[in-house]
Amino acid sequence: MRTAPIVATGLVRRFGDVVAVDGVDLRIEDGEIFGFLGPNGAGKSTTVRMLTTLLIPTAGQASVAGYDVVRQADEVRRRIGVALQDAAIDPLMTGRELLALQAVMYGLPRREHRRRGDELLERVGLTAAADRRVGTYSGGMRRRLDLALSLIHRPTVLFLDEPTTGLDPMSRITLWDEVRSLNREGTTVLLTTQYLEEADQLADRVAIIDHGRIVRQGEPRELKAQVGAPTLWIDVDAAQSVAATEALARFGELRPAAEGRVGVGLGAGASGVAEVIRALDERGVGVRHLELHEPSLDDVFAEATGYHLEGA
Amino acid sequence: MSTLDGPTVSTAAPARALVARNLRRVVRLPSAFFPALLMPVFQAIAFSGAFAAAIHLAGIRNSLDWFVPLAALQGAGFGAMSIGFATIIDIQSGFLDRLRMAPMPRRALVAGPLAAAVLRAVFPVVLVTAVGLIGGMNVPGGWLGLAVLGVAALGVGFVAAGWGLGLAYRMRSMAAAPLMQFAIFTAIFLSASQMPLALMSGWAKPIARVNPVTNILRMARQGFLGRVTWAHTWPGLLALTGLGLVTTLWARRGLSSVDRI
Repeated sequence: MRTAPIVATGLVRRFGDVVAVDGVDLRIEDGEIFGFLGPNGAGKSTTVRMLTTLLIPTAGQASVAGYDVVRQADEVRRRIGVALQDAAIDPLMTGRELLALQAVMYGLPRREHRRRGDELLERVGLTAAADRRVGTYSGGMRRRLDLALSLIHRPTVLFLDEPTTGLDPMSRITLWDEVRSLNREGTTVLLTTQYLEEADQLADRVAIIDHGRIVRQGEPRELKAQVGAPTLWIDVDAAQSVAATEALARFGELRPAAEGRVGVGLGAGASGVAEVIRALDERGVGVRHLELHEPSLDDVFAEATGYHLEGA
Repeated sequence: MSTLDGPTVSTAAPARALVARNLRRVVRLPSAFFPALLMPVFQAIAFSGAFAAAIHLAGIRNSLDWFVPLAALQGAGFGAMSIGFATIIDIQSGFLDRLRMAPMPRRALVAGPLAAAVLRAVFPVVLVTAVGLIGGMNVPGGWLGLAVLGVAALGVGFVAAGWGLGLAYRMRSMAAAPLMQFAIFTAIFLSASQMPLALMSGWAKPIARVNPVTNILRMARQGFLGRVTWAHTWPGLLALTGLGLVTTLWARRGLSSVDRI
């Protein structure tokens, strides 16, 4: 059986008395985008630093691309691309120079440096800025350059540590598109984020980490379904509120109603909406407005940790 | 071609690339380089003026002959040691992590900065020597004397860079900076840097006598005080070789300590 690109078993990392990562188990399959979701200080970056050979685990084991991150660190390094939280880029160098340096570090043949650099600059939309010093780049440009640098050697596994933190919405969407595109080309992606929307938009599966422990893991849809049924909110005439409530009762758990607004948890999911409308119609209740509220990853997070994720 | 199937990354190519990066910084951030460039010139002029009378007692007529080689060695040492500051900046900005994540041999992360530091040290050595020559410094040892000064100064640069690099890798913060300078300053101060051994007395003399820097200074100065001889050269070379080996090992082990975090 082929080993999954990223496997961690009981991964622990202590800094003195502080346990930053406390027994993380992960298995990320080939071609997945895996979201690692949690607040600042939850242990996301520490886990990534162990998986990318920058930190030695205090306990536990991990393999990336089939190689042990401690004993076969160089083999791991040859196969991974990493863009860390703060794009660590020398501001005095130009984008093109940094790509050339990265190409040398990864042993690309000299004749390939220029071609591969140009290819990546074009891919991330930095061709026009290639010969400018990185110190003059915007945050979004730096992130895109960081992504290009991480791809110089065509890695099979890509680690992106909070790749869109601090970016404006347009830059964020551009980066998401690029991550999706890389994933379609076969790259397995582990993405850490504190943005719920990012995990929801990009990840095939997510793990929620809090205080160094994974508290939930699975597909976003599954995780949200575990939290509870979607809620259907309906605005009706205030005079018809009671009739509407009676009509909704058989579809699931009723939500606290306000004047002219009733709600029900749809046990049958979104497919039950049509039935509800018919039932209201049969009772002569006119519907002014309706909305279906699906549980969010924030609800999942809150259910797992007891508090909401900052920035959600 | 991906590096997955490619050859093992050599040490030389990444080391050369790191040298190029460091030298580029000299051009693009001259404000960080100029103090190290100009300080030895200032020291040579100031010391040769202030201590001229004392130096004459040792039979040296031109105090520049005594102080320019010292300034060249100090300039090389402090100039090369700035690689330690640059490395701390790389550590704090995360750039070193980028380098550490590359599948290149770790020795490239020592060889590259050391080579860059030695090349950076060439500039203050050339400048202070040129100023000395313009100021009337004697060179009875001729080209050989100048070459021996170059070897001694760049050797000191190598040793200082190894010291600075090792300290940077171990401490990983600017708190290392005063320690880097203190050690180099003390090593030079406690040698026959200001006065010939014959004129020294008290506690400083026995220390200066056994301090290897005294041998390196004797090697560096010989071409300006007389002819170059093997007897005045080999102790300096031996000191530089020994110190060079120790500080290179210190730097390499320092990098290993980063990897063991």
